[in-house]
Amino acid sequence: MKVLIVDDFSTMRRIIKNLLRDLGFTNTFEADDGNTALPMLKDGGFDFVVTDWNMPIMQGIDLLKEIRKDPKLKHLPVLMVTAEAKREQIIEAAQAGVNGYIVKPFTAGTLKEKLDKVFERLG
Amino acid sequence: MADQIVPLLSLSQAKALVAHLEANEIIAANEIVEQASDISISEGQVFEKVGELTRELHDALVSFQNDTRLIDMAGHDIPDAKLRLNYVIEMTDKAANKTMDAVDNCLPIADKLIADLDAVKPSWQGLMNRELALGDFKKLCHQIDGLIEESSSSAINLRTSLTDILMAQDFQDLTGQMIRRVIDLVQEIELKLVGILTVCSSEENAEIKKETACIDNNIKAEGPIIDAESRDDVVNGQDDVDDLLSSLGF
Repeated sequence: MKVLIVDDFSTMRRIIKNLLRDLGFTNTFEADDGNTALPMLKDGGFDFVVTDWNMPIMQGIDLLKEIRKDPKLKHLPVLMVTAEAKREQIIEAAQAGVNGYIVKPFTAGTLKEKLDKVFERLG
Repeated sequence: MADQIVPLLSLSQAKALVAHLEANEIIAANEIVEQASDISISEGQVFEKVGELTRELHDALVSFQNDTRLIDMAGHDIPDAKLRLNYVIEMTDKAANKTMDAVDNCLPIADKLIADLDAVKPSWQGLMNRELALGDFKKLCHQIDGLIEESSSSAINLRTSLTDILMAQDFQDLTGQMIRRVIDLVQEIELKLVGILTVCSSEENAEIKKETACIDNNIKAEGPIIDAESRDDVVNGQDDVDDLLSSLGF
């Protein structure tokens, strides 16, 4: 399974990459904001996206909306991992079609639980 | 202008006063005198107030001009604060990577130790149950000999990595000091800005600006919330997120 990790902080990308590796996702790629991520996704082959919200140029919520707008990408599962914790933001993400929402700081257990849930729902 | 002498009573008022006095109209005459003194008092107060404000404004402007601290802050301290904050990002980045490098180094050691112990276990259990052939016993001895050798070098390796992790935490102290300096600067700037605001704009304006700033903030991404417990527009941890999402049918 090919996974794209989108976060502007390389440390956070590395943490998520390591956690995903421990959960058996070894084929991971990285992007530092939505603007870099979108062309990578459009090139194809990705099965899953983990994205932050607050990033320069293109934020995670806008990346999510772009993904849902694109006929080829709209079914791609997106997990949001972010420090953004306002209720209206979580509602906005849900309405935009996010598949899971994790607030930072988070634990390896939470990541595993949410991933399991996302894939269980997708069947 | 202040030295110019202004009559307390106008010519027309004086003529009317004389007319009233000649006609023995005492009340009307007194009214003219009272009116004139009223006006002169209130005008005097206005002039005094305007004078006071002008002096304050002048003093404030002069003190801003002469305030080399402001020039220092704009030219030196604020760029310096930017550098400090960038340095904080760099240091925390380095510390996180150093820690993760050490962890990356430790994990395979732990994995190998587990695998080696698993490899020895069947023969060892055979020995404990007195079911081990002599040939297998010799093999086991060599295995254990190797395991001891390797474990001791692994332990040294682990120790080095753990020390690296420990040492990487020094960023907290250093970045803490830097951030504290920046906080001090921000406080100083805040005071200066409040000074400028009180001189240059009325309090009402300041209030309105503050409110609109708040409205703008609500739509933007805010980053880590540092006062989640005292706010009710934010969630307090993953459980709250899950509750909110499940209430939305997730």
